[in-house]
Amino acid sequence: MLEDPYRWVEAIRNRREYVDDQLKTASPVVGCTYQDGLLLLTTTPGPRKLFEVYNQLAFAAIGHPADIEKLRKAVIDIAHLEAFNLSASDVSLHRLVHFGIGPLVKSAFDEIFRSPYLARVLVAELDPSQGQECFFTVDADGSFASHRDVVAMSGLAAAQPVIVDQLNAATGDLHKLTLEAALDRALNAWAHGHLPLADGDHPAPDDDTVRQFLSTALSTARIEAAVLDRTMPTKSKFRLLSAAEIEPLRLRYAGR
Amino acid sequence: MTDAVTGTDFIALLREHGQWPQARLGDPSATLGLESTEATTILAVRYRDGVLVAGDRRATMGNTVVYDRADKVLMVDDRSVIAIAGSPANAYEIVRMLEMSFQHYRRSQLQELSLEGKLRTLSRLLRENLPMALQGIGAVIPIYATYDEADVTGKIFFYDMLGAQFESVDFCTTGSGSTMIRGALYYHNRWDVPLSQMDEGQSLELILKMLETAAEFDTATGGFRPIANVFPQVMRVNAAGISSIEESVLESLYETRLSQRRQG
Repeated sequence: MLEDPYRWVEAIRNRREYVDDQLKTASPVVGCTYQDGLLLLTTTPGPRKLFEVYNQLAFAAIGHPADIEKLRKAVIDIAHLEAFNLSASDVSLHRLVHFGIGPLVKSAFDEIFRSPYLARVLVAELDPSQGQECFFTVDADGSFASHRDVVAMSGLAAAQPVIVDQLNAATGDLHKLTLEAALDRALNAWAHGHLPLADGDHPAPDDDTVRQFLSTALSTARIEAAVLDRTMPTKSKFRLLSAAEIEPLRLRYAGR
Repeated sequence: MTDAVTGTDFIALLREHGQWPQARLGDPSATLGLESTEATTILAVRYRDGVLVAGDRRATMGNTVVYDRADKVLMVDDRSVIAIAGSPANAYEIVRMLEMSFQHYRRSQLQELSLEGKLRTLSRLLRENLPMALQGIGAVIPIYATYDEADVTGKIFFYDMLGAQFESVDFCTTGSGSTMIRGALYYHNRWDVPLSQMDEGQSLELILKMLETAAEFDTATGGFRPIANVFPQVMRVNAAGISSIEESVLESLYETRLSQRRQG
């Protein structure tokens, strides 16, 4: 198969289709900045999707749980080896993505006799002082992109710009939002991104449709949210929000 | 669950990447004439709210003072500290290794390593260091102090060079100056005020007196030196976490209490 270039391209195309098909129903992950750092939000039927990688680094992924675990472990290993051999301040998201996870995912995707990672990854980095937060998304083929202020990762590629537009459209400076306001904004953007899946494919649903959709969605899945909070006194700035912190948000939309 | 399955072990990870060079026992004559830097007196004392861990600041090489502001009490995580006597080069590396190891475990396994697991890791690292220690240039004798939330109390553990772990009930001291103060601490604890019933102020004062006593009899232990503004290092380990006792507090204690005799 490999001696025939056409078949190799075809094989790659096939696995791209396969990956897209496997991921298309995944619940999106939404990221945005707020006054104390940055927020990640998604929904899940059970397994955890938001994780700590290093003091100022967070990891989120959609896809096959076993592949997510493999990638998460790889990123954590790289970060801690870097921190041990050099220093904590040398662990940077840029290097982790460009030289670590990007090439790793790409090589698995290109080796057509091996299974690719069935996962898309979103990593976030808190800037402890200046508020220059940054995000990277890594696709299942290893291609990556950096984002500032807002980011979305979804199973359906078309949903990403919908979520980003929604995050940017709401009024109020993202860097001055309280956590509560940021949670609300992120959940609404999440709903806009996930909604076309549930409801045909129309791009601009009205508020009632969104509310209705959220109410249904939250009856089966729970909201998961985590922050990288620069005001935390510990070296590690990652914190998974507790059920009690999320409950007011859930009640507002789930209605019970 | 073995490490091979879960890949939890940071030491194994470093080895896999060829980044944990294991010290080997070489020709003993190779170390002849090489004097290594040594860190000296450290002590940990349980008090009412937790543990105070202290060390003098002197690092020596033979009869030379290498450094007079060495930090011998190092924070490992948000709950525990290590105080080190012996070779600082190896001790710093061991503490760094331990810190990364605990962090790596917590993040990859999504749970905190148990106290027993932490103690065992330190034990393993000391065993790894054995070849160096046997050559007489890299022995590390640490004290590990932590606050055990389950038992609502501070705990002190100490090790020998081979990695054997012991829990000490009320106090522990190691390093070259420790022999000068061990008896005094025992006496105080047994027939005077029990150390674990003291409040922080009382315990702190006792610790400073002990370090001064060690410095009096052991040349490798540095005392309080007002002329250079050098103070011992003291850290508190309690329910609120880990914090340092500020030098200003130590200074005022020295000024008002420990030097009373001058005025009297």
